Amino acid sequence: MLKMKDVSKIYRADLIETYALRSFSLEVAAGEFVAVTGPSGSGKTTFLNVAGLLETFDSGSYELDGTDVHALSDDARSRLRNERIGFIFQSFNLIPDLNVQDNVDVPLRYRRLATSDRRERIQSALELVGLAARMKHMPSQLSGGQQQRVAIARAIAGDPAFLLADEPTGNLDSLMARQVMDLLEQINDMGTTILLVTHDPELAQRAQRNVHLVDGQVSELQAYEPRVRAAAPLGETAARA
Amino acid sequence: MSLNVRPILSALLRNRTGAVLVAMQIALALAVLVNALYIVVQRVEKMQRSTGIDVDNVIVVATSGLNDRYDSVAATRVDLDYLRGVDGVVAASAIGGIPLSDGGNAEPLVTTPDGNRADSYNSFEFDEAALDALGVHLAEGRNFRHDEIQPPLTKEDAARPIAQIIITRALGERLFPGQDPLGKVVYDSLKRPSTIIGVVDPMLGAFVNSPHPDWVYLKPRAPTTFIAGVNYFVRTRPGARDGVMRVIEEHLNQTNPDRVIHWVRPLSYFKNLSYLWDRAMSIYLLTVTALVIGVSTLGIFALATFNVSTRTKQIGTRRAVGARRRDIVRYFLIENGLITSAGVLVGCALALATGYWLSLHYALPRLNLYYLVGGVLALWGIGQLAAWQPARRAAAVSPAVATRTV
Amino acid sequence: MLAYYTQLAFRSFRRNPGLSALMVLAIALGIAVCVMTLTVYHAMSGNPIWWKSERLYSVTMDNWDPNNPYHEQPNLPPPELTYQDARHLFGSTIPQRKVIMFSTSGDISAAATTPARPARTRFTTADFFAMFEVPFLYGGAWSARADDPPQPLIVLSREENEKLFGGLNSVGRTVRWNDHEFRVSGVLDDWFPRPRYYDLNGGHFQEPDSVYLPFAWGIAHEQLNDEEADCWRPEVINSYPDYLASDCVWLQMWVELPDASSRARMQAFIDGYWAEQRKGGRFERPRNNRLTTVGQWLRDREVVDNDNRLLVGLGFAFLAVCLINTVGLLLAKFLNGAAITGVRRALGASRRQVFIQHLIEVGVLSLLGAALGLGLAALGLAAIHHLYAAAHLFHRGGYQELMHFDPIGVAWALALAVLATLAAGLYPAWRVGRLPPAVYLKSQ
Repeated sequence: MLKMKDVSKIYRADLIETYALRSFSLEVAAGEFVAVTGPSGSGKTTFLNVAGLLETFDSGSYELDGTDVHALSDDARSRLRNERIGFIFQSFNLIPDLNVQDNVDVPLRYRRLATSDRRERIQSALELVGLAARMKHMPSQLSGGQQQRVAIARAIAGDPAFLLADEPTGNLDSLMARQVMDLLEQINDMGTTILLVTHDPELAQRAQRNVHLVDGQVSELQAYEPRVRAAAPLGETAARA
Repeated sequence: MSLNVRPILSALLRNRTGAVLVAMQIALALAVLVNALYIVVQRVEKMQRSTGIDVDNVIVVATSGLNDRYDSVAATRVDLDYLRGVDGVVAASAIGGIPLSDGGNAEPLVTTPDGNRADSYNSFEFDEAALDALGVHLAEGRNFRHDEIQPPLTKEDAARPIAQIIITRALGERLFPGQDPLGKVVYDSLKRPSTIIGVVDPMLGAFVNSPHPDWVYLKPRAPTTFIAGVNYFVRTRPGARDGVMRVIEEHLNQTNPDRVIHWVRPLSYFKNLSYLWDRAMSIYLLTVTALVIGVSTLGIFALATFNVSTRTKQIGTRRAVGARRRDIVRYFLIENGLITSAGVLVGCALALATGYWLSLHYALPRLNLYYLVGGVLALWGIGQLAAWQPARRAAAVSPAVATRTV
Repeated sequence: MLAYYTQLAFRSFRRNPGLSALMVLAIALGIAVCVMTLTVYHAMSGNPIWWKSERLYSVTMDNWDPNNPYHEQPNLPPPELTYQDARHLFGSTIPQRKVIMFSTSGDISAAATTPARPARTRFTTADFFAMFEVPFLYGGAWSARADDPPQPLIVLSREENEKLFGGLNSVGRTVRWNDHEFRVSGVLDDWFPRPRYYDLNGGHFQEPDSVYLPFAWGIAHEQLNDEEADCWRPEVINSYPDYLASDCVWLQMWVELPDASSRARMQAFIDGYWAEQRKGGRFERPRNNRLTTVGQWLRDREVVDNDNRLLVGLGFAFLAVCLINTVGLLLAKFLNGAAITGVRRALGASRRQVFIQHLIEVGVLSLLGAALGLGLAALGLAAIHHLYAAAHLFHRGGYQELMHFDPIGVAWALALAVLATLAAGLYPAWRVGRLPPAVYLKSQ
């Protein structure tokens, strides 16, 4: 699914070079739930940007779902990003003057799908996160947890190869955080690969595998037991939010 | 307290685009302002130059004959006698041609019998009372005598010679440069001589929109009727004009059934009509200049506001580490001042170049530098003024912004 | 996608109503001033027939004194032709339309019993009215057949018709001119082009022609123009036929030549006639036969006002300021929305798609600005027309041209507005596409 080998990213400012990523290697198989952890300044953000095709890298190779991303044009990278990756951000990043439905619609628009096809996908994505009833609401009318769930719907509506989540619970209280993580696990159960970037070790434990970054390099790999399934079905949890 | 311009300048240079756009607007606005104002002043001067005629107090009456019984000489005499007796009237005369009306007669005059008839000069048909009726000053020589006034031209008798003429001093300079024209002889298109018996100064003729409206000569002759009718010119006491107009119009319409009155108008009507284009031009120039400055000012204001809004974090941080509100305002005003100065500098070059080009192609005198200095000061002031409010808004940013992460 | 991007454009306007309104207004003002200036320029450039002026040609030949050029303009031939030359050239079938004419004064009255008044009279051939696009209120011109043999038909100006018949439809009624009877074939609508480009005698403040009579009738009845005779040859002129045969110039001739080939053929025709006549002893001066367009004619006779190009320059300078303003404001607006653009980029929009999205936004802006601008221009022109209609300058036809807002002109103006604004928006749209999405995603 995702194969990074000896990837390095250097930031050059005048005469100083900073290695944000230093010969970083990572392999993620389809269906895995991997957490990437590390203290601030460890290169987590850079890894996220590179993995998400938001930034280029200087050396090494990166193969995403069978495609070598190295020499791709901006157009091709954008298409890859659009079709294969689902983004979830710490600050939700919903577009404030679009309603829930239109927000989920945004990545689908760039795919030139038929109107009926898009509508179906939006419907099922919102149903999955339990917010189908709020389709016409504006983001300002939703709680933080609901906004993040809309963002998740947006991420999965296009059937991506994997989800890239950056501190998805960073701006949420513990109750909402738990719901969001439950949702992610559910999505992973359905077969979607998930890459979670976080500095919170508790959160990292819910993944199957941990990759710890220090100074741009992998410092240790930890594997955990397959996690415990959620006790209650998702719908009820959502209703209580 | 140092101005600390250098860091501001280097920050500005790193993010040039917005600054360049503002500077370009200021430059264009300056070029427009300076040149437009200059042209307007020229026009105003042209419209206000001395005509030599008592324009505000002169009335023009247009008459013509209605039938075969009409005798222009007799009718004119009766009407002028009446007009001279009206209360408030200082003088009345029958004149062929209307000064300041932008249309009239032009015929060639030369100084030697075989001379090259290259130029035609504006001519009028005057009687002995005409100078008085217009209020024109006779500088040298004498006025026409009553016996010198010829009867009007007719179709059969269209090429009669004129023995005496009066000219303007400007025409005198033109025909006999450096000499006194009085007493000299000039020749018409059929080589017949006329003696210059008098010089008037100043006097503008009909062609006020031509380069030399003061090249005028006067013929002693009753107005020619077979082309147009007879125009009476009536000069009144100051303030009496409008009242006299009403009185004479009513009276003249009722007397003499063989003669019709086409209109009674003040001479100022013709002057205003002739200068209508200049006035319209001036209004247009001033309006567009105002719009240019207005649009630029709004643009600077909007861009300055935007600049502030993108840098709230930086402002907050500065405040948090000790800058006072004043310092923030000063920072933005200095930054804006640098941009404005650059714009003004380029604008100067642009204004001078435009002024030079205009002077070449439009026969305008070269741009007066006072205008440039004035324009520079004005635009610099406007540029800074536009940024004042945004700078104040910047100063109001709370230092707490520095620590916020969302 | 176009519909989607247009939707996004309107949302963007709603997000920044003040800024968007300012931009639309700035563009609209720039367009309005430019369009108004261009229209007034055409109307006042002293070329009252600007939409046709490059197809109308004045015909002149230099038959003047070999020892002295024609006095007013040393390089130019006399502005009028002799009768012989005009007659011959008029026989050419090359021009689409042709006219020869002269003007004089005559006494006019509605009946033998009412007193006659002097009226400015123009003797002209029939094509005059179609060629110079003279508007008729009632009736029409006489047909070309009425020139030969000459029929006693008359066309009245609107003002003259009001004086004679109180403004009623007088077609078919009789009018007496210099004691001859004529039948009214048409009455003109307000028409007084300034300057009177086809006949510049009389200086700037030309009297309007009151009546129009067939040229052939004038010749048949020995009519003459009422300016001083313009001759150079010391020839004996004792009778009207002598005058017609002389080298005196007094007739104006204009032709309508629709394209370059007919122009070339006409020039060849004139030059051929000139060569023939020269062999017979006339035309001793160097060849100077000219076909002069209205625009050049006005320039040659020094009637064109230089001011007008200044105005156009100023109008464009103002448009430039407005567009630069727009670029700056667009840049600000787009960069302000960088965060949202970053999200879209993250979700898969390529740089090109972001560029196009913003360009569409600029396009919508430009259409709004252009529409508003054209509306403002129309209002402005109507205001000018109204304000100055009172003055003779604009009344009587000269400024009907102000309203000659032909569809092609409007289309050009619209195209200019949209293209200029799009050009202004290219840079900001491009800039926003290049923004690195990563930076803007983190900073909120």
